[in-house]
Amino acid sequence: MTEFLKRLLRTPQGAIGVAIVGLVLLVVIIGPWVAPHDPESLAPLQRYKGSSLTYLLGTDQYGRDIFSRLLIGARATVIMAMLATLAGTVVGALIGTTSAFLGGRADEAIMRTIDAVMSIPSLLFALLVVNLLGSSIVNALVAVAVAFAPGMARITRSVALSVRKQDYINAAIARGESARFVIVREMLPNVIAPIIVEMTIRVSFAVMLFATLSFLGLGAQPPAAEWGLMVSEARRYMHLSAGILIWPSIAIALVAIGFNLLGDGLRDALNPRA
Amino acid sequence: MTETTKTPVLQIDNYSLDYRTATGAFHALRNVSLDITPGEILGLVGESGSGKTSLAWSIMRYLPGNAREVGGAIRLGGEDLAKKSAAEIGAIRGKRISMVFQDPSTSLNPTLSVGRQLSEVLMRHRGLTRKQAWAEGEEMLARVGLKTPAQMMARMPHEASGGEKQRVVIATAFACNPECIIFDEPTTALDVITSRQILNLFVELQAETGVASLYISHDLALVSRTAKRVAVIRRGEVVEQGEVSAIFHDPQNDYTRQLIAAVPNPAIRLVESRPDATAAPLVKVENVSVHYGRKPFFAALTGRAHERVVGNRAVSLSVQPGEILGIVGESGSGKSTLAKAMTGLNPFEGKIWFDGKSISGVSDMDTGYRKDVQIIFQHPDASLNPRHRIGEILSRPLKLYGGEGSGSQAQKIGDLLEQVSLPRSHADRYPHQLSGGEKQRVAIARAFASKPKLVICDEITSALDVSVQASIVRLLLELQRVHDTAYLFITHDLNLVRQIAHRIAVMYHGELVEIARAEDISSPDRADYTRRLIEAVPIPAGTTAAAN
Repeated sequence: MTEFLKRLLRTPQGAIGVAIVGLVLLVVIIGPWVAPHDPESLAPLQRYKGSSLTYLLGTDQYGRDIFSRLLIGARATVIMAMLATLAGTVVGALIGTTSAFLGGRADEAIMRTIDAVMSIPSLLFALLVVNLLGSSIVNALVAVAVAFAPGMARITRSVALSVRKQDYINAAIARGESARFVIVREMLPNVIAPIIVEMTIRVSFAVMLFATLSFLGLGAQPPAAEWGLMVSEARRYMHLSAGILIWPSIAIALVAIGFNLLGDGLRDALNPRA
Repeated sequence: MTETTKTPVLQIDNYSLDYRTATGAFHALRNVSLDITPGEILGLVGESGSGKTSLAWSIMRYLPGNAREVGGAIRLGGEDLAKKSAAEIGAIRGKRISMVFQDPSTSLNPTLSVGRQLSEVLMRHRGLTRKQAWAEGEEMLARVGLKTPAQMMARMPHEASGGEKQRVVIATAFACNPECIIFDEPTTALDVITSRQILNLFVELQAETGVASLYISHDLALVSRTAKRVAVIRRGEVVEQGEVSAIFHDPQNDYTRQLIAAVPNPAIRLVESRPDATAAPLVKVENVSVHYGRKPFFAALTGRAHERVVGNRAVSLSVQPGEILGIVGESGSGKSTLAKAMTGLNPFEGKIWFDGKSISGVSDMDTGYRKDVQIIFQHPDASLNPRHRIGEILSRPLKLYGGEGSGSQAQKIGDLLEQVSLPRSHADRYPHQLSGGEKQRVAIARAFASKPKLVICDEITSALDVSVQASIVRLLLELQRVHDTAYLFITHDLNLVRQIAHRIAVMYHGELVEIARAEDISSPDRADYTRRLIEAVPIPAGTTAAAN
């Protein structure tokens, strides 16, 4: 484990990725306690302020402290993105591995269905799900998870196909192991490395997808401090104070970049020979 | 030997090479000194990881970035290669030194025609025009014994067989009349009969051109038949070198002696037992055929005929209890296909009788059958799940079939490890922490965990070094004596199978050619294909042709 961390930190992408993601997770955990102001207290006299010592990143259209809102909004934004990705990954990985294990006609049927689902752009698909289920943060989570599962299934299957040909799978089948054991215990542990890499990269997409959904008014609802929603609300006031729009956008970009770099670093660390 | 007075073409003088790794310097070669005079074949023999290929690449001046040359020199015709510039080396490679690789299917570019690749060398080093080079290339191909050189020039590599491809590679190596050619295991990837032909071609061309050759191989028997002098390399050090006859008849070094003793010799039988021929057979395979590929959906819809690939064609054989039945044949002859059919990994047509029960498909293979019939695969790297500990790997058969006797699970796993002479503490390790031979022992322990009546060994020693192979074979025979297990021993190594099998089945293109008792396999009234196979196998040095 320590050797793995060393390998991860040796590459610049890995080191920067770990630093950014670590910082983001720190904010997620302790954000609400260190926030200097109440994120929802309105102050009509303090609207559109620039950066100052009282308001580190200025205030928004209602005079709320942007820095505090970012710190508190991190929970809604980042945790949701991670949960959605995790759910999508687990479902996708199981479908992909099962499909590779079954092979033949069953594989064809599963993969063509996946292809059909994948042909719908993920944002549109998420919009469809949210529209059907109603706009709430849990439904947005489900929507993103469902939108991610087919892609993960496809990636997992491509790796699982090569694992399927290995002799330890043959040995397990010749031994008379159940299909469930072969899929979960023999195959899944060997496809996990590329899945983890893909997952970290997808977290950044999920953050952006959530932000987009919130921006369109289908995810978090005001007055929540979700970052995408903050950008959406700031849109009308940006000519009065650009900071309202820029700071949450930077936060979203930072998380996306951090997870992307971490994914790159993990890919190198998990495949030392590649 | 007057040849030793000639000035050497290639002179390796006290050469050392290190690789820098994360854990410190790895000494790949230490103080290697070799000379090759014109017209001489020097055999370089060593096991995997001994530094044979590192030496080849340092002669070709193509080393990875982490290589450090610590000392010594490599001289070609008296010039130190290490002092040459990259451009000078480029002019030397292919013209003065060339190389023949192990696997012709990867050393030819699959997207360029054979003629293009051959004529490129001629154009680059001999300044010929494209037309001249093409004509010259045809001549070269004719010289290496290809029947239709003009057509071959136009073909793509995938349209040629393995033997033909290796001939093309050899033609390319000889194209510019180099002073020195390095052969890096040129026949390892080929079938027995093909590799014998390639070897004959090599000896012929070598005699004709008088090129100095460095012949790298792990196969002692093979080297003893081609080379005049042999150097034995171990862990980067040349432990012994000298004339072939001297090395093989009077080896000075312990390691050389060990290596020579480990080479399978068909004259020495390792099994004395004799199975009861009158007993009811344990397994009877009746007309088992295997076809690969399923009918495409559209072909089924339109009623178009569909040719299936044949893996096995009506194979029938039987194994007595406690008998070792060897199955030999070239790659693609259907040996492994039969093993897979018998373990339910391939669907098959026909019938298998096991212990009086009839089995006509995968669904008939119940837990009892699975328990009694175990399979061991070729590559232990592939057959042990890299993410499972050894203890977990060995616990599965115990869980599935219920280990006999009392004692805890850990106790039983420890016993299994001890049975294959591994320490009990290995249960906590992962497969990658074990050597190749140890991994194969774990695979054997797993197969024997259920106390099976039949164990199918699918090329289980061919991925191992010769000395490890000998110890694995000893272990198998020991287990056979204790448990009276029957083996289906699949291999392409005729010498080995003649040592241990009671009867030998020969397969060719998915069909069973014949089954003969091991003692009778070399008799002249065997089938034509069997005789060709026997003739093609190099007999280890030190034994006379009388064994044949």
